[in-house]
Parts: sequence; structure tokens; C-alpha cells
Amino acid sequence: MQSNAALEYDYSLAKKFTFLTILFGILGMVVGTLIAAQMAFPELNYLLGEYGTFSRLRPVHTNTVVFGFTVSGIFATWFYLGQRVLKVSIAESKFLMVIGNIQFWLYFVVALAATVSLLFGVSSSKEYAQYEWPFDLGVVVVWVLWGIGMMGLIGIRREKALYISVWYYLACFLGVAMLYLFNNMAIPTYFATEGLGSILHSVSMYSGTNDALVQWWYGHNAVAFGFTVPIVGMIYYFLPKESGQAIYSYKLSLLSFWGLMFVYLWAGSHHLLWSTVPDWMQTMGSAFSVVLILPSWGSAINMLLTMKGEWNQLTDNPLIKFMVLASTFYMLSTIEGPIQAIRSVNAIAHFTDWIPGHVHDGTLGWVTFMIMAAIFHMSPRMFKREIYSKKLMEAQFWLQTVAVVLYFTSMWIAGITQGMMWRAVDEYGNLMYSFIDTVTVLHPYYTIRALSGVMYLTGFIMFAYNIYKTMTSGRVLTEEPQFRTPMA
Amino acid sequence: MEMDLRNLQGYANIFMTIFLVVMLYWYIIHLYRSEKKGVRDYEKYGNIALDDSVTSTPVEDKPASQREYKEENK
Amino acid sequence: MFFHWLEKNPFFFAAAISIVISFAGLIEIVPNFAKSGKPLVDLKPRTVLELAGKNVYMKDNCMSCHSQMIRPFKSETDRYGDYSLSGEYAYDRPFLWGSKRTGPDLHRIGNYRSTDWHENHMWDPPAIVPGSIMPAYKHQFTNIADIETAYAEAVTVKNAFHTPYGPEFKTTRAAWDAHRPKVLADAKAIADNMKNKDVKEAVANGEVPEVVALIAYLNSLK
Repeated sequence: MQSNAALEYDYSLAKKFTFLTILFGILGMVVGTLIAAQMAFPELNYLLGEYGTFSRLRPVHTNTVVFGFTVSGIFATWFYLGQRVLKVSIAESKFLMVIGNIQFWLYFVVALAATVSLLFGVSSSKEYAQYEWPFDLGVVVVWVLWGIGMMGLIGIRREKALYISVWYYLACFLGVAMLYLFNNMAIPTYFATEGLGSILHSVSMYSGTNDALVQWWYGHNAVAFGFTVPIVGMIYYFLPKESGQAIYSYKLSLLSFWGLMFVYLWAGSHHLLWSTVPDWMQTMGSAFSVVLILPSWGSAINMLLTMKGEWNQLTDNPLIKFMVLASTFYMLSTIEGPIQAIRSVNAIAHFTDWIPGHVHDGTLGWVTFMIMAAIFHMSPRMFKREIYSKKLMEAQFWLQTVAVVLYFTSMWIAGITQGMMWRAVDEYGNLMYSFIDTVTVLHPYYTIRALSGVMYLTGFIMFAYNIYKTMTSGRVLTEEPQFRTPMA
Repeated sequence: MEMDLRNLQGYANIFMTIFLVVMLYWYIIHLYRSEKKGVRDYEKYGNIALDDSVTSTPVEDKPASQREYKEENK
Repeated sequence: MFFHWLEKNPFFFAAAISIVISFAGLIEIVPNFAKSGKPLVDLKPRTVLELAGKNVYMKDNCMSCHSQMIRPFKSETDRYGDYSLSGEYAYDRPFLWGSKRTGPDLHRIGNYRSTDWHENHMWDPPAIVPGSIMPAYKHQFTNIADIETAYAEAVTVKNAFHTPYGPEFKTTRAAWDAHRPKVLADAKAIADNMKNKDVKEAVANGEVPEVVALIAYLNSLK
């Protein structure tokens, strides 16, 4: 054993996953921007033959940003902060290093293959769970490897107390595992017959209303355990560390954790209001969605109060800006969601563009801002170099903030306009508008949304460039910065 | 049979909800009480994020590994 | 103390999280399973051609933009027909309700659109509905639908979930060869109402273009 060498955190895995985060981020956002533009300018559907239509590309966009970008971000930050809050280097265990590397390569291959499969139309059509069964199996193996690595690292830790972020990552692992397994239960038709037809095709274990219930129990909580839980885990580490301020109330963070765990899972049926799902389940979904404001805002307020007395940092540290804006958008989307889950509001909002509007408040404003902030914070520590440009970071911040605001305002207007037009009747009680009237009216909003997509993507490319320059030509740091991230 | 299942479901729901609400309140009381009595200071765990270099002293030691680590760094 | 112990034992801690998060699913979903899966009294499962069409619907992911769920509002029943019932979906694996209506609902489109309307519309949507932002699906006129997989799906759901397909649905290749002419006859009935030459030619050659299967499926949505 090299007992003389000073013990150091090993960031090789965190770095690898950081590269993937950026790669899948660009990929997912390019596709997202393209499909947003297609809704305003349908000619753009014909760029890639049958592979370029909106309908084929939409799952490519959603799955790439969820399972490519966000999940890479979760892995990258885990392999960084997991070591730090447990005060143990992953390099202390050969086994964990090997598992981590297998996880990385397998994940990379599965994520790419699955994305290509969607492009070819190999899809089980359940939203955010479109991967067919062989890819599902790949995802499961990757996830199990992550679980082994996580429990292993926890097992060899020096810090006995598990920091709150670890709670959240652990919950992310368990929650996604449970949801993904149950929702993707399917029988491959090739093996259920004497080898008839395509080997890739499978049929869901659930049918009709049951399938819908399981799917939205999954769909809603994939958001919970993919877009909320691990991101909260990130901010509970990165915000205190960047600002040098401990969490405002650690007790509140623990309470919000259990509150979130218990309440979130009930709310899935709010995606099925006014459908053929039994009424009491719909009511339960509505009610729990409103209750969900409490733990969500508990976390959000805790984050904002962490900055108490230190608000001056907001003006001179752009990284704090990113994180404070992220918490603000978290508050916005966690109040918007419950509003949409109220039956009467849902009657208008459901099926309209207000829903993607709401999703993107959360994903662009909260998830992506937080992941970018995390990578900005980690880079100088991983690459031992100063951030390349503070100015570029500021410019990116404002560009993307304006983009998110344009996105959700245009989609609010589009959604409510369309929802109202669908139900508008004339003085005799006849429908006033044919369906196509309610589509053509949206053209300006779709155009604004496409523009906001271009702006956000530009900001993300600025981010990627900034990180690239940091790695290659940032000023070399002699020692690891303690709190505030150094930037030129 | 169907009625039985419905009833069972209702009772299970009420029972579990009450149980978990009690747990949650017990937890809140527990958090504040143990702090007041000086059994445990929860807020100190916030420092885990702030003081997180690999050589810094853990907020709460895990005795076995700590020993190994000290030996290694002699 | 219980909580103290829990927070220091990752394994039991993980178990506690699992219990808390699985609670909702157990109470909300499991107990109603049998009831929510019941079919309407005279509901018929889809034919193999219609199933192949459903798979085209999934492949080109029509549910990105179209729902199949008519909600119980006057504005919806006026526009699309009777509101949807749970029992109508009992054989749908997966459910295809969708979550976004960039285009109109399709749950009862078979009642008010015809084969030739679909043919023209899939070829060039804005020509039929001026202002439409739906892309053309010309590749469906040349791509061949996978009817063998559709048959395998019918046999699978028959054996696994007792979906009422006839005794001639068996897992063997011989059974499929015996059933194939029936599928082609169904396809021919659709193609007879179409004018696209490539489609007619393919059907005459014993192949089913995707658009034919898709139209069979859309016509069955009533």
C-alpha cells in the first residue's frame, strides 16, 4: 500500500460523467430546440426523412434529457460529493473503482443505443419509459451497479453521520429502481411464441386504465426521484459549500425529506383527472398535490434562507446566482404544479401547452441551472484550474434566464388560449371554433418558444465552451479552493 | 368479496395515514427535544458539507475506519 | 433512540425509505386492479391487422400529439363523441391516452373519418386541413408493416392475459401461416378504397404497407 502518499479524493469518475452530462445536454437540447421550431415551422419536419418528424424526435428529446443529461449529472455529482461528505476516497477501494468504471461504460453504450432505437421507432410508447425491453434490462444493470457502488462507498465511510445529500441520492436510487421496474413490466412476444416476429417487441403487463395508473405513478415520480430528489441533494451540498454558509436549518431539511418521500408518490393520478380512473384516486391525486407544496417549499425556503445575511454574494458570485435562481424556479414550479392539479384548472390546462410550459420551468430553470452550477463548482476542484471566464458565465446566466421566462410565459398564454377555445360556445351552445382554429392561433407563441429554445441552447454551448477552456487553459491552482469558486 | 376488499383498503389507508402522521410528529418532537436536552445537536451536521476535505475530522467518527486511516498516515 | 439508530444504519435507513415510498402505490393502485381491468360486455379484441396498425401508431409515436381520451365535458362530447369508458380500453396494451393534444383526440375517429380521408391526410395533411402543422407521413406508404409481430402479440396476450382470441391463435409458425391470408384479405379491403398505386401493388404482392395497417387501426377507433 502506498501509505506515504497523501490521501486524495479521486475525481476520475466524476470527470467522465461530467463530460457525458455536457454531451447529452447538447444533444438533448439541440433536438428539443428543433422540435420546438417544428411546431412553428412544420417544413422543418423533413430534414431527416422519416427519422426527423416531430413524433419520432419528441421521445428522443425527452429520454436524452432525462436519462442522458440529468442522470449523467446525478452520477457526476454523486461521484464528487459522495466521497466528500462521507470523507472517503473512492480510490481506497479497488472494487468500487472497477464497479464505477463498468457502470460508466455500460451506461454510455446503453444510453446511446437506446436513443438510436427510439429514432428507429422501437418504442413501447409509455412516456419517459419508451425504451423496449433489451434497453430496459441495460438500464436496470447500470442502476444496480450504481447502487452497489453507492452502498459500498457508504460502507467504507469515515463520517458516521450521513449528510442530508446522501439521503436524497439514496432515495433517488431506491425510488427510480422501484418505479422503473414496475412500470416497464412487459412480455417479449418473440419468446412467448415460437420465435414469431420481432425480437424487440414486447407487450405491457398492464392494460388500459391500469396501465395508465401505473404509467403516471411512474411518470410523475420519475420527475420526483429524477428531477427533484437528487437535485435537492445537490443544492444541499453545493450551495452551502459555495457560500460558506451551513444549511439554514438542518432539522427542516430532515423533515422536508420525509415529507417529500411520503407525499410525492400519491400525486401521480393528477395526470389522469377527468379520465376513466376511479374518482377517489383522482381526488387523492389532487389533494396530495396540494399537500406537496409543504415539503417542497420547506426545502426551497431552507435553501434561500441559507443565504441569510450573505445576500451580497448574490451580486458578486454568479454561481450563487445560478443556485438562487434554481431554488426560485423550484418554488415556482412546485406551486404551479398543484394549481394545475386542481380539477377545475386541470379541465382547461390538461392536453395543452401549459403542461410542457410547467415541465420546462422545472427542467430548464431548476434542474439544468443546478446541474450547470454544480459543474461550475466542481470543475476547478477536478481540473485544478480556475474557471476560464466569469464574464461569459454572467452572459450565459442572463441569456438563459430570459430564455426560461420567454418559454413559460409563451406556453402559459398558448395553453390557456387553447384550453379556453376548445370549450368556447356561441349563444346557441354550439362550439365556436374548429380544432384547426385553435392550432393556427398558437403560431406566434410557438415561434417565441422556438426562439427561447435557441437562446437557451446558445447559453448551454457557452457553458460547455467555458468548461472546455477551464480544463485546457484556465489558470492553474496550487491548492483546492475552500468555498468560493475562483474565476477569471 | 369486493366490498370486503374496499373496506380493508379503507381501514388500511386510515390506519397507515394516522400511523405515519404520528411518526412524523414524533420525529419533529424528537428533533427538538434531543437538541434541547443536549443529547444531539442536529445543526452540527450542516458542517459536514463545509468541512469536507479527506483529512478533516469527521463530525461523528466511525471508529474502525478512523483507526485505519490514522495508521496509514503515520 | 429509534431515529438515531435509523440514521446511522444505511441498510435499515434504505428499507425505511422503501416502505414510505411504496405505501402510496399499494393503497392507490393495487386494490383496484381487477376492477379497472374489466372489459365492456361485448368488447372485441383487435384484429391482427389493427394490432399491426397500433404498432405503427406507436412506432411513429402519434401519441406525441394525439390523445385517445374523451373527457366528460359537453365541449368534448360535442367535438369527439361519447365520453370514454374504462372498459373500452381493457385490451389496450399499452394504453395510448396521450397527454398532449397538439392535434385532435382520436378515440372515436373511426366514426367520422374514412379510409380515403386518411390516405390523403397522411400523404399531405395541410392539403386536407389548411393550416395544419402535422408532418406528412409518406414513408408509411412504402414501409412494410410487421404483421407477424402483430400476430405474435395477439397470441401472447391470449395466453398470458386471456384476451379472447379464437382457438386458431397458436404459438406455432404453422398457425401463423394459416392466419396470414386472413390478414391480407383485411388489408386488401382497406387498399381497395385507396388510390395510391404503390400501396395497391404491395398488397397485391402479399405485403401490407404501414399506412394500410394504420388506417385499419384508426377505422377501428369508435
